[in-house]
Amino acid sequence: MKISYNWLQDYVDVGIAVGELAEKLTMAGLEVESVDQIGAVPGGVVVGHVLEVTKHPDADRLTVCSVDVGDEEPLQIVCGAPNVAVGQKVPVALVGSSLELPSRDAPDQRTLVKIRRAKIRGTKSEGMICAEDELGLSDDHSGIMVLEEDAIVGTPFSDYLASVGRRSDAVLDIAITPNRPDAASHLGVARDVAALTDSTLHTPEVDVPADGGDAADHVTISIEDDELCRRYVGVVVRGVTIGDSPDWLKERLTVVGLRPRNNVVDVTNYVMYECGQPLHAFDLEQIAGPSIIVRPTKEPGKFVTLDDEERELPAGTLMICDADREGAIAGVMGGQNSEVSEKTKDVLIESAYFSPASIRRTAKALGLQTDASYRFERGVDTEIQAWAAMRAAFLMQEVAGGKVVDGIVDEHPNPSKQRALDLRLARIQAITGMEVAREEVVGLLTQIGFEVVDDKSDVIRFRVPPHRPDVEREIDLIEEVARLYGYDRIEEPKTTPVPSFTPRDRPEDLARQRILGLAAGWGYREVYTNSLLPEGRASEYCDSSILGDLGGGAPVRTANAISREMTTLRPSLLPGALSVIRHNLNHGQDGVRVIEFGHVFTKQDLPDNIIPGYEEHESLLIACAGSSGQRHWGVTDRSLDFFDLKGTVAAILNALEIHGVEETEYPEAAGVAAYRLEYATGGTVLGFAAMLDPERASAEGIDTPVYFAELNWSRLLRTTAIGSNSDYVPVNRFPTVERDLAFVVDEATRVGHMQDTIRQEGKPLLTDVRVFDVYEGKGVGASRKSVAFALRFSANRTLTDADVDEQVAKIVKSVARVHTAELRD
Amino acid sequence: MIGKIIGTRMIDTIEKLREEISRHAIDSQEALEEFRLRFLSKKQGEITALLKKIPTVAKEARREVGQQINELKRLAEERLEQARKQIHEGSGALAEIDLTLPGRPHPSGSIHPLTRTRYDIQRVFERMGFVVEEGPEIEDEWHNFTALNFPPDHPARDMQDTLFVEPSENGDDGVLLRTHTSPVQIRVMEQQKPPIRVIVPGRVYRNEALSFKSYCLFHQVEGLVVAEGITFGDLKHDLHVFAKAIFHEDVRMRFRPSFFPFTEPSAEVDIWWEDETLEGGGRWLEILGSGMVDPNVLEAVGIDSEKYTGYAFGMGIERIALIRYNIPDIRLFYENDFRFLDQF
Repeated sequence: MKISYNWLQDYVDVGIAVGELAEKLTMAGLEVESVDQIGAVPGGVVVGHVLEVTKHPDADRLTVCSVDVGDEEPLQIVCGAPNVAVGQKVPVALVGSSLELPSRDAPDQRTLVKIRRAKIRGTKSEGMICAEDELGLSDDHSGIMVLEEDAIVGTPFSDYLASVGRRSDAVLDIAITPNRPDAASHLGVARDVAALTDSTLHTPEVDVPADGGDAADHVTISIEDDELCRRYVGVVVRGVTIGDSPDWLKERLTVVGLRPRNNVVDVTNYVMYECGQPLHAFDLEQIAGPSIIVRPTKEPGKFVTLDDEERELPAGTLMICDADREGAIAGVMGGQNSEVSEKTKDVLIESAYFSPASIRRTAKALGLQTDASYRFERGVDTEIQAWAAMRAAFLMQEVAGGKVVDGIVDEHPNPSKQRALDLRLARIQAITGMEVAREEVVGLLTQIGFEVVDDKSDVIRFRVPPHRPDVEREIDLIEEVARLYGYDRIEEPKTTPVPSFTPRDRPEDLARQRILGLAAGWGYREVYTNSLLPEGRASEYCDSSILGDLGGGAPVRTANAISREMTTLRPSLLPGALSVIRHNLNHGQDGVRVIEFGHVFTKQDLPDNIIPGYEEHESLLIACAGSSGQRHWGVTDRSLDFFDLKGTVAAILNALEIHGVEETEYPEAAGVAAYRLEYATGGTVLGFAAMLDPERASAEGIDTPVYFAELNWSRLLRTTAIGSNSDYVPVNRFPTVERDLAFVVDEATRVGHMQDTIRQEGKPLLTDVRVFDVYEGKGVGASRKSVAFALRFSANRTLTDADVDEQVAKIVKSVARVHTAELRD
Repeated sequence: MIGKIIGTRMIDTIEKLREEISRHAIDSQEALEEFRLRFLSKKQGEITALLKKIPTVAKEARREVGQQINELKRLAEERLEQARKQIHEGSGALAEIDLTLPGRPHPSGSIHPLTRTRYDIQRVFERMGFVVEEGPEIEDEWHNFTALNFPPDHPARDMQDTLFVEPSENGDDGVLLRTHTSPVQIRVMEQQKPPIRVIVPGRVYRNEALSFKSYCLFHQVEGLVVAEGITFGDLKHDLHVFAKAIFHEDVRMRFRPSFFPFTEPSAEVDIWWEDETLEGGGRWLEILGSGMVDPNVLEAVGIDSEKYTGYAFGMGIERIALIRYNIPDIRLFYENDFRFLDQF
């Protein structure tokens, strides 16, 4: 909402500079987002008189002018404007002055240019004759600005502008919050200014007649739905002459961003920006009857608005009709069929109160927000309609001639109730923490229009003014007191109470932070990817082979997507990670390791769902591709593979103190996985580690193998022992005995299963077993492999060789039997 | 029986040799050669001699003996290698080690700036007695809007601003992607009676086109305090402490009246950002929205708004991170270029 500093002065003696005013308004809840200086003419521009105009000898479009600027000798100035002519009074920027000139390509951008003595196409030029845009007065660049004939040569241009009523101004752009419908007008803002600067508000005096009079002979008004339209006021002005508005009116509208149209329409806009009441002017001759009927449509229909657009109206749209047809969409926009035109002589001014909800619905359905609908939606002053109509009528009489018809037609079937609210002084303190003196409370509220109707010692009853429909409860009054009192004056207490609670680290945070810290140490980079995917991509990764028992659902689509790229919620973190991998491999990284925590979603009914029908849980994804490290001396570089990833998963589970996780191998390709390993505990799937199907990888634009693991973080958190303390296990102080065993087995034999057998049979002395070599090739025979295990034994005593031999023999026997293995010497 | 005896004798010999190998002084190039000849020489070495004797050991003990001899051989070799190194280094060969060679690198990983910022914020509040809560990203209208005192026709409920989710087969209409973390306020108050002092970090969604300053999703930290005697002064105090901890001790801040459906009175909070290049030496930057919990919100969850008062606030983690790290474009957080991530 644009508010003119000069315009405000009509209603309140502001008394402070615009910067300070902006600060005060901002701190009182009317946030000033920007201040634009308008028409502040730079120094060094004076009124000049064009004495001679001759063609430039070397340029068709340029002229050479001789311009008197009040000095002894006239100046020679080269000019490019088509409209320059002998005898004109023009603004001249003298040598040495500086102008902010708009760029020809982007008129919004201005650069400061110093005017110098120059040669233009070889001809001397000593200054510049200016167009309006070059002086920052408007966007007009059609030609140089031609001044009034009686302009005094040599006087500063700013004096000239002031003499013709074009003062410099400042425009405050105010962000109006929904609780301040009153601030969508100059009077409304002026009311706050008066309260903030302790000055008096001057509302223009308007003679408002009682319902009836001659006006009733010119038009009848009936309202068919008094919920949607509580009041409809009509005033008639006869014999107007449609034409341009006077400069002062055009300037007012231009400054706040409106385009002047004609004197009648301009007046309605002026009054709307003055008091916040939207008005509409009908050509009375076009109104059949003449009668006005306010009624909602019963069926969907079409209507041509005054911007010549045909609009589709839903049933229930509130319309302003005459005896024959529809003439305007109530509160949104008038119709082409009844708009004021050059031929209009008699004007009917509409000033109504429409239900905010109804206007909001209509504006939304039509996708059309206008200055009028903006104000009706938020709620206009419930009492101002007659005042606004008469204010406009008298202004029209002044600027468009004609005569205001006596009287007024004021159809007011459903007056808004006047509201009065109790305010407890103690409650102000309970909310703000400040004891505000009762005189100050009363003073602040009465300055913005509230009236004391009852005053007990601890409770004051206030009547709510009609321009504050938003004030409905005591808390609204407290807010008004607080903002005018000043949040800055509310003191911070020296101490603040903290409820008794047990300080405790959440296992969720402990676990997440521990894993992130470790993963960063292992060379993983944490990433944040978009939760919204294109639908096709979401479907491709909604895949049971990596989602396990949660893969049965469908992707969750949004009903109103931002774009086709973002229609569907991710069922998995994998697609996001793949984009990151591709991006970084394409931007100079040889190897990529990423980790992400994030919510994933599917549509399915599960008992644990928070929102019925939608499964949502937090997921943990790790993925890697490319090379294990950079080329470096002393380091063997190699390609990352599945076992890098599997090692990370094992380390994560270990860090989470999750033990005894069962692994199930799925060596065959399925879904997006070339092969995969399932992790589960007690029958609950925790997640998968896998190699991405190579064709899928290349479809993703990645030409190197990708390995990933996606784990159900919510389930891991239910399983983790993090955050709970368990008893320590005493350190075994007896010596350990180590033995190596190598077996030759069929190449298809699963080493993991052999390790399980060794663990099982090694009880109770075996404390550790690891695979230290896997060899296929010379010496072990075709289709066979040698697997070497390092075993460590200990007990709560010194083990003898015999103890260990016995255990080893048991292990060897079982491995040989179960896995058809031969011990290798 | 005989074999067993021979095996035992062998083991005694092995044991004796093991001791000698360990004790044998090797302090010169000559001693080095002497050691090698005595124990490891293929022709005359004592260990080689032992190996040749294995076939004479009883079958049952052969394995064991063989292993022990091999062990012995390894020990001797290690000892030799170790001594060789010591002798070389001791004789001025130190210069052969180039200490200026770079050390073997660790792979570099990183924690995302949004996570860092989230936990920086979270830690401050946890130290001030706040408890952390989280909630779902798919929400219903009750928690996201209605219980938070958004009127039925509030513009924020429009499709223009909020991403709705296609209804499930037997689910309800009005399921959406939460537009703020405030629905968790409601979830907490539905389950917990005052005093309440929680913060809620999490991801939220807006139906916005992507640009340098807006993304279709971002992250918030929400705060809620409900207890007897809580005032706007407490709100100012706690947020001031927060700003000092996150920005700097002398941070200038201002509370500017504003409007949110679920708080009243409401305030937007700005901090003063110094910038020499600007007129006035800096500018006010909005960092969060806040206010006293609206009585309607307390009543919606069955808390007596006469007895209890409270305050709430919400801030964008991205916004705090943009300010702290002077990042010009919010999309950088989601591009995940390693050259960006590496800086955090």
